[in-house]
Amino acid sequence: MANVIFDILRDKRIILLAVVIIGALALTYFHGLKFGIDFSGGIRIPVLLEKAVDGTTMDEMVRTIGVRAAAFGLTEVKVRAIGSDEIYVEVPASDPKLVSDIEELLSKQGVFTGVVDGKSALRGDDIFTGTIVSRPSQSIQSGADWEVDFSVTKDGAERFSSAAKGKANYPIYLFLDRPGDSIMLISKEDLKHDLLTYRGGALSDDEVRRIAENALKLEDDNITLYLLGDANVSSLEPKTNRTRAIISKNTTADVKSALKEKGFILLEKEEAEMMPKFSINSAQPSMSSIDKWEAVGLLSAPRLSAGVTEGIPNYGYSITGAAEGEGTEKTLNAQKDAKEIESILKGGALPVQISIGSTTIIPAPLGEQFLYMSAVGALIALCAVGALVAIRYRTLKAVVPIIIISICEAIILVSVVGFFTIDLGAMAGIIGSMGVSVDAQIVITDELLKSGEAKVKLKKAFSIVITTATVAIVAMLPLLLFSGLVAIIGFATSTILGAFLGIAVSRPAYGAIAEKIFKEEEKAEPQHPRAQK
Amino acid sequence: MEAGIDMKIPNIYEGDYRRCAIIPIIMIVISLFFIPQIKEGVDFRGGTLITLQLNGTVDESALKANLENEGIKDPSVKTYKNPLGNVLEVEITQEESLVRAEKLKSDFFERVDDVSRLESDAARSDDPAVKEKYSKARDELNAMADELFGIAGVGAKASEVEGTNELRKMMSDAYRKANDDYKKKLTSAMDKYVSYSSISFEAVSASLSAKFLEKAITVVIISIIFSITLIFIVFRLFIPSIAVLTGAVCDVTIALGAMGLFGIPLTLASFAALLLLIGYSLDTDVLLTTRVIKRREGTTRERAYDSMLTGITMSTAAIVAFVSLLAVALLTHIPIYYEISSVVVAGLIGDIFATWGINAVIVLWYMEGKETPEQKTKFTSVFKR
Repeated sequence: MANVIFDILRDKRIILLAVVIIGALALTYFHGLKFGIDFSGGIRIPVLLEKAVDGTTMDEMVRTIGVRAAAFGLTEVKVRAIGSDEIYVEVPASDPKLVSDIEELLSKQGVFTGVVDGKSALRGDDIFTGTIVSRPSQSIQSGADWEVDFSVTKDGAERFSSAAKGKANYPIYLFLDRPGDSIMLISKEDLKHDLLTYRGGALSDDEVRRIAENALKLEDDNITLYLLGDANVSSLEPKTNRTRAIISKNTTADVKSALKEKGFILLEKEEAEMMPKFSINSAQPSMSSIDKWEAVGLLSAPRLSAGVTEGIPNYGYSITGAAEGEGTEKTLNAQKDAKEIESILKGGALPVQISIGSTTIIPAPLGEQFLYMSAVGALIALCAVGALVAIRYRTLKAVVPIIIISICEAIILVSVVGFFTIDLGAMAGIIGSMGVSVDAQIVITDELLKSGEAKVKLKKAFSIVITTATVAIVAMLPLLLFSGLVAIIGFATSTILGAFLGIAVSRPAYGAIAEKIFKEEEKAEPQHPRAQK
Repeated sequence: MEAGIDMKIPNIYEGDYRRCAIIPIIMIVISLFFIPQIKEGVDFRGGTLITLQLNGTVDESALKANLENEGIKDPSVKTYKNPLGNVLEVEITQEESLVRAEKLKSDFFERVDDVSRLESDAARSDDPAVKEKYSKARDELNAMADELFGIAGVGAKASEVEGTNELRKMMSDAYRKANDDYKKKLTSAMDKYVSYSSISFEAVSASLSAKFLEKAITVVIISIIFSITLIFIVFRLFIPSIAVLTGAVCDVTIALGAMGLFGIPLTLASFAALLLLIGYSLDTDVLLTTRVIKRREGTTRERAYDSMLTGITMSTAAIVAFVSLLAVALLTHIPIYYEISSVVVAGLIGDIFATWGINAVIVLWYMEGKETPEQKTKFTSVFKR
């Protein structure tokens, strides 16, 4: 018997199984198991797109929703694409108020403002939204890589012409949801971060500060800039009881609490958002500007061409730009840049119509209960299937390997599905798979118990196992590939994976064990190949 | 191994095996009777499902009457326990006005960009024809907007709104208000009669449920085409392939019958379970047909019987696992668990009867027809043509 076990452990197929299991456990150890909000508690709001979109558009939508959620002051919001026509917005908290916040955020558009030298030159309302289009690259004449055209109302034309008069080559700062009634506290490092890699002559601190202040000024609603370290926080006074202080998340707790004490509302931003991107004009440092500063919603800053700065109202405008890269990469970048400008002008409107699906709220303790009960259910399923096999075959030689292989399969299945997300559907599939994963072993055992040579029997058994599993997988596959029905994708994935593991991993492994065990028997009791007693 | 369970089950295919088909045929007839009674869940029908975690208990029939008094049409009220206490579920059919509001909103937004371009043209041109074109298009938009404003109870007139940009915003707000008001109406009705610690709304709009249905139908069709093609490739014989497919169809029929009988609603989850059943049921059907048709050891009836022992063990293992899931479902009241497990368990039980009663009978009849010379000519003609 010891010989047999040794033989089995040396078999390539068993070693393969062992390697796969170690891999699965390592995956879980380093990556952890991810559970859906059904188990971890929280809120999930599915956002349904009116039609399926391509990868680029989907990325853009996910990013836009994420950016707007952050602007809305919602932290820890996770936005992820599900297939090509659905997006999940998830929050790991179960406060129902958050649901209405997010719904509002998704249903309302952002506010677009264009600022030229501290004067409001363009407002979202001035633009006829339907006229915002990016021009196909072939028809762009100016030598630019991309172009976005739009028309404005009469009011808009007048506002723009007066703000832009005499400002040729000035930047027009395009803001989305520019925070009004705010101040900004920033460290010198964050402010100058982008300039570290700048190779042209160094700018003095004062010049950098002046460029930044230029980007932040607006008639009577400047965002006043304070450098951390220079400014004495206790000397700052909020203008109103709703004045916000824009600071980096990494700001020290002292500063944060001092600001709060003073009555500021804190608007904490990621460090990367706090760092402005500069566009330096080395010949004329005074014409340098900031291109992007996400902390204040400054998303782009094209320069005004001389033609629009003569003070004559004009109804049609275009924004053009150069794209980075070469060849196809350049074309793709140009498309991306144009889309971004389009989206800003449309007030952050999403490129396709959306509707909000059914919101799920799971209180954390309930989720824990669900997980606990489900784990117990899976264990019971495993034991019950083991008991069934034991009753059927009444010999440890068949029962022990079947149960060990089933456990191995369960480990692999949970690790792989847990790498993505275990939700209710996936869990149902995992529990169900406990019963289906033994199918292959049952067919093999039944075949081996018949008279005849083990190798031949095994071959016959394998042909059946492969056919049945293929048929089962093929019948279920459309559910995974063509439905896009998110609620059941977890279920489809785990059942198909369960069936697949049955033939790909456990079939050969169990075959290896069974072959050796039953061969041993044939040698020992040549007269009674079928009987154990 | 000869001892034990093998001995206890007699070979049901000895003698007139056609009698094996009696039980499954009766099951199918009963199922056909119950299938029309299947309830569509919120997923496919559209509507609102409100789930409340209660602080105490609630009287179902009194609550139903109270809600009806509040102007909520035909609510269906259900309570159960979960680990945190009592749970109340109220299901409400789709409100007609909201269905209309959704349609108006999507029509409006489909049209508004075009009108905005016309508006821009009109603003820049003195040509009366251009202005006329805009005002005509604008009137259409106004009609949609006014109807939605009416539904939402917004006291605004679209013709008084200057530009389409403003109208666009008002439409979004009005649509949101209509939905919020409806939710508020439901919440305040709940507040009045029920004390709860948490409330959640699952609202499936008409367009969403239509989308679910469309996708579900696509998946079923593709799945059927895949399965049929694969089966014909595997067997390359007409009658056995038909036998396998008949087994699967009977199985799904029995599962559907069980859904009607036990009130398991048709939701995305139970739909997924039905598709899973096609896979599982083909599994045993293929096992049977392969062993009986392609093997040569023993008689056909012995081979059929042998396969039955293997197949029933397989099905029982799956049933046992899904019964565990059903047990968890009954304790936690997680609907998706309940819908999947109950459909699969019912279908697998049906599968045992359908495969070994109907599929086996067809395959045996086919094989024995081939074996006896005088019957051979009679039956082979069926598939040779």
